[in-house]
Formats: sequence, C-alpha cells, structure tokens
Amino acid sequence: MMESLTEILRRLHDAKVEFTLIGGLAARHYGVTLVTEDVDICARFTPENLRRIENAFKDFHPRHRLTAHKMPFELTDELCGRLKNIYLTTDLGILDCLSEVAGVGDFEAVLRQSEAREFPFGCCYIIKMDALIQAKQAAGRPHDLMAVAQLQAIKGKDEQQKNSL
Amino acid sequence: MIDEATLAQMNGEYLMPPDAGPAWRAAFAAGIDMSLLEENLRRTPWERLLANDRALALVRAVQRAKPVDDGIAH
Repeated sequence: MMESLTEILRRLHDAKVEFTLIGGLAARHYGVTLVTEDVDICARFTPENLRRIENAFKDFHPRHRLTAHKMPFELTDELCGRLKNIYLTTDLGILDCLSEVAGVGDFEAVLRQSEAREFPFGCCYIIKMDALIQAKQAAGRPHDLMAVAQLQAIKGKDEQQKNSL
Repeated sequence: MIDEATLAQMNGEYLMPPDAGPAWRAAFAAGIDMSLLEENLRRTPWERLLANDRALALVRAVQRAKPVDDGIAH
C-alpha cells in the first residue's frame, strides 16, 4: 500500500477526530520545503476521541511504533485513561498523536492557537504559524531550527505583502 | 554576450529580491535554498502537501534501491 500522509489527514477528518495539525506537515502547509515523514497532530485525549483515531486506522494495521515488538494499537478503557501520546505506524504512514505541545501547551491551548483551513475533503484545524514557530523553537533539533528559519522568512514576506496592500 | 551577473545566476548564484526582508536574508545566510522556498510558495497549501507525498515516495524508492552488482560500471 502506498504511503500517503494526505490520506492520513483525510481519514482523521472523516472519522471526526478532534485534532489540530502540527509539526512538519503544518510547516509544509505554510510553504516550508523540508520533506516530512510523519503526520503530527495534537488531539483531545478523551476516550471517545481516542476511539475515533482507532476506528480511523483499524484497517491499516496500526501499531505502537516505539514499543519493543510494535504492539497492535488496540485500546482498552484502562489504556485510554493512561495514554498521553500515541506513536503509530500504519500502512498509510506514521501518525504521532500528542496531548500537548512543548512551547504551546495542552490541546485547548493549541486549539486556541489554531485556525480552520479548507482542504479538498473538508475543514481541518492547523496550528497558526506563530505557535508553530514557538513549538519548533521549543523542540530545538537541527531540522526544527531549519524550519523556524524558513517559517520566519515566509512570515516576513507575508507581512510585507499585507503592508503593501 | 551574457553578462557576468546572469552567468553567475546560471551557475547557481541566488538573486536576492530587492524587497527581501531581514528574515528572508537571515534564512539565506543560514544556508537555506531560497529559490526552492520561492517555488514552493507559488503552490497552494494543498499542492504543497501533495508534493510532500510525492517526495516521500521518492525517498522510499531510493531507500529500497539495491546496489547493482553485475560487474559493469554504471
């Protein structure tokens, strides 16, 4: 099966998962040229919402990619209450679900720093550029800082265009 | 006759837009290929995500590529 991060995004939308797009794919959305290998989202970690994520990918062999034997992603009521993050590998690609974002805050804080954007399959929330810059600065890895430099350049260009109108 | 500035651009020198702001110049100074960034900004946001899918497929194909061992230099 072909890896497709856009298909992961569509499945999250269609399953009505409460989430906002963060990370490298959000950076791509704003124009950053770095290729990303996963979908990062900040999601509401309620049992109902986690079950939506489970349902969205149940046909795509989801597994906890960081566990020693890549355990199947099969939720229980007990697990729903204990998970803070979910790192999945699926036939469609890698999906990382976080309950909070360093430099921004928990899901509610991230949602306040997000805006709805129209995609071919419908609307999704995406973290605003300023909050994404904060998150990438907090992460601080070399590729994050490379993305920050690009995001700041794009932001500066956007502001120049707005000012010239 | 091609002038020196055009020749330099043909050879890969980036032509800084006259209205480039400090962040744009800083990104260039940090080694980012600003011509690629300009190309990407011409796409719609959705086109940028689809381009990532295509780039990722290419990365995987390269990762899967096996060395050719037929004794002939390629």
